[in-house]
Amino acid sequence: MNVFIQQLVDGLGQGSIYALLALSLAVIFGVMHLVNFAHGELITISSYVAYGLSTAGYGWEIIVPAILVTSIIASMAIEFLAFRWVRGSDEFTMLLTSFGVHFVVSALFLMFVSPKPLNFPKPSWIFNTIKVFGINLEIFDIITVVATVVTLLITVWILQKTMFGITLRAASLDFDAARLMGVKSNSVIRGAFALSGALAGVAGVFWLMRTGTAKPDAGLTPLLFGVIAVIAGGLESLSGAVIGGFALGIVQVMLRGYLPSEISGLTEGILFVLLAMLFIVRPQGLVSVSRAERV
Amino acid sequence: MKERLLDRWVLPLGGQLVLIVILVVGGLVYAAMGGSGRDLLMTQMFINAILVVGLQVYIGNTGVLSFGHMGFAAIGGYVVALLVIDPVVKHVIIPDAPFGIVDIQMGPLAATVVAILVVVFVAFFVGLGLIRSVRYAGAVAATMITLALLFLVREMAANFVTLTAGNRSGLSFGPGQGLQGKTWIYIGLVFAVLVARMFRESRLGRLAQAMRDDDLAARAMGVNPAIPHMAALLLSVALVTVGASLRVLSLGSMTPNFFFFDFTLLTLAMLIVGGRGSVTGSLVGVAVITAGTEVTRVLAGDSVSVPGLDWLLRPGLSALFLGSAMLGFMLLRPQGILGDREVEDPLRRRLRKRATPPEPPTSLPELGDVRLVTHNITVRFGGFVAVNDVSLEVGVGEVVGLIGPNGAGKTTLINAITGVIQPNDGTWRLGDHDLAGLPSFQVARLGIARTFQNLRLFKSLTVRENISVPAIVAARHRRERTVADVDALIFAVGLWDDRESRAGDINYGAARKLELVRAAALAPEILLLDEPTAGMWEADSVAMVSQIRQVASWIGAGVLVIDHDLHFITAICDRIYVLDQGEIIAHGSAEEVRADSRVQAAYLGTDDPTG
Repeated sequence: MNVFIQQLVDGLGQGSIYALLALSLAVIFGVMHLVNFAHGELITISSYVAYGLSTAGYGWEIIVPAILVTSIIASMAIEFLAFRWVRGSDEFTMLLTSFGVHFVVSALFLMFVSPKPLNFPKPSWIFNTIKVFGINLEIFDIITVVATVVTLLITVWILQKTMFGITLRAASLDFDAARLMGVKSNSVIRGAFALSGALAGVAGVFWLMRTGTAKPDAGLTPLLFGVIAVIAGGLESLSGAVIGGFALGIVQVMLRGYLPSEISGLTEGILFVLLAMLFIVRPQGLVSVSRAERV
Repeated sequence: MKERLLDRWVLPLGGQLVLIVILVVGGLVYAAMGGSGRDLLMTQMFINAILVVGLQVYIGNTGVLSFGHMGFAAIGGYVVALLVIDPVVKHVIIPDAPFGIVDIQMGPLAATVVAILVVVFVAFFVGLGLIRSVRYAGAVAATMITLALLFLVREMAANFVTLTAGNRSGLSFGPGQGLQGKTWIYIGLVFAVLVARMFRESRLGRLAQAMRDDDLAARAMGVNPAIPHMAALLLSVALVTVGASLRVLSLGSMTPNFFFFDFTLLTLAMLIVGGRGSVTGSLVGVAVITAGTEVTRVLAGDSVSVPGLDWLLRPGLSALFLGSAMLGFMLLRPQGILGDREVEDPLRRRLRKRATPPEPPTSLPELGDVRLVTHNITVRFGGFVAVNDVSLEVGVGEVVGLIGPNGAGKTTLINAITGVIQPNDGTWRLGDHDLAGLPSFQVARLGIARTFQNLRLFKSLTVRENISVPAIVAARHRRERTVADVDALIFAVGLWDDRESRAGDINYGAARKLELVRAAALAPEILLLDEPTAGMWEADSVAMVSQIRQVASWIGAGVLVIDHDLHFITAICDRIYVLDQGEIIAHGSAEEVRADSRVQAAYLGTDDPTG
């Protein structure tokens, strides 16, 4: 039982990162109908910022806000340089555009920084544990979960109470109608990318604290899990994305913990199979939003 | 007959062969001017061409972006490597492999055939998932499944060490065991290109393209999208396996990363840069990307120095080139260099221009008394009742109007009859056939064709190809009543000069006519026309009236016309139903309906009964 609870908290910690990434992907999908594979680049770019600041002697109290700012700016910059030009294109074009951005950014780091992974120190407290009711829990997991919950609450507040949040939700429901009502598409899309960048930034902070590595494809793995989570949750549902993220984290940690050792290397593989099965059984995702087709 | 042979076979396949010769001769000349490195590069280019053409068959025809094809290639590559490698070698590198595979040995050709069978078998099941996800969650979901497949295959290859020898060593052929010479590569290339091209021109290929352009309209024309989708997938993975087999045999080894992300990027860049819509485009893309990566590789090497640019010329330049090529084309020219043009298109167009106008269409055999009867149909969206208890009848030979203000539920009723949505209540039949619960392609095959008020043509297909889609379906599923001559229909409604234009390029009036003729080409018993004159000028509307009557009498169908323009409806219809807020409020001849007080109140406005 104790082991199970430890696993569960660990899963929630992992799942927090996925939930944040999934939510940030869902925000963009809402306004552009784009599954943004270039979103991992926010973490990649942040990882080099973290490495640079760390080698310059700064501690995590500087690195954390730097990552958040970097992520927001990079998100808006990518929108300005690439996605602005393919707005309203078919899914095919937008998907490959995001892949193109991913390949270009990682090639740039590979060429001009280093093809090899660069390590920077993780926070000193990362492996500390604390005993709660006789169960050892990692402080890092707890901090991740708490920070994620706070971030999610702030996001909910933005979406429900601010003018920007309301226009964003309106645009996600029906972009054309929202535009007819006077929503400026430029500002709502830019705002969505900024919000999305901030969410990815929070996820990036915890991902980079855990890995402590900068490399040209640093963002690829977290991005893939974010994508799996957002799709599992149903692309058009923001709450679905968060649920999908937490569920994915828990399933992943449980598989690692309980699979027989011969096949534990296949954890991710099994996740992919589960995802594919989910698609076949319930193609619209765990949380579906009814979609009316105009004929 | 000679023209048909020339048009269908000689020109397309001849064009592709000429292109292959140019690619091969160009490659060999380049190789002959340099060392063995160049020869290896050209060998790989020819093999990549096979793989890219294989990708084109699926991605080009179905419009679904697949990252999973290199996963299928990896499966094929492993099968070939495991079967071809000498048992003596296998006893050393994978002594504990299951299935007694250690002691099996096959020739490369037999092993490739086995690999194709294995890959097609796997792809069949993956394809079922793809088809379902495209239907219910869109093409993005299908793309994600293919991505999951790519990662899954790699994970399994890296972990299933007893069979694959894992990440480090991989499966290596003994000396002299790989592919010698290029003969098989040329055979594979010619085979793959011709097969891909024949599929593009084939009936199944056409149906796949229709589904790609507009899934809903394809269903309404009687296409079951699962069939062309699956056909494209299986054919495509078979060709990809041929390429994978040659790649593994020529390089002499197989590892988990052999067909993974980088190679997916390379082959996809080749496909989209040249133009995924055509086989010619794929081959052009292969040449362009191979040349580009070669140039960037040389520039990035130590031997070349360009003053002022040395900061750029460093390792990784070819990766940057690939990424930029993909990104640049998506931003500036997403259809690629050639789009969907093929090499012989100018010749073919000239040949087709010479065609003489056909004879006027002959009427189809008379139908008996077949009637579309709906009984108490009710459609609810949540708490909102869009169609309430509607009963109506349309028989062969009559033209019936369904009129009502915007939002009255007219289109919803058509969607319900044609199986696009399922009503909550009611029955509806065509003759003896109960239509309840049938998917829309089956409703179409039974004899109900429809048009769409907001034009849903197959935009990238020509006018003629648009009409060929229902004609293909009719020839297979409605044999007793087939429109023999599609050209006659085209000519009769005045689309003859537009016949080789893309449906997306013709003017609005012509597009409206095409929408009508496309539905008529299914030779249905009942034709449902959803606002056939929406957005047309008065004069064009009047012309449309006579065209609808003409087309209906040729195919002998009954027609249900939806509109909100009373003038138009009274000009064309024998009987009229009036729908308001989901309910039929009046029914009868034009005069009777005009005189009805409820109609005047609800629809015409009480002070002006003439509308």
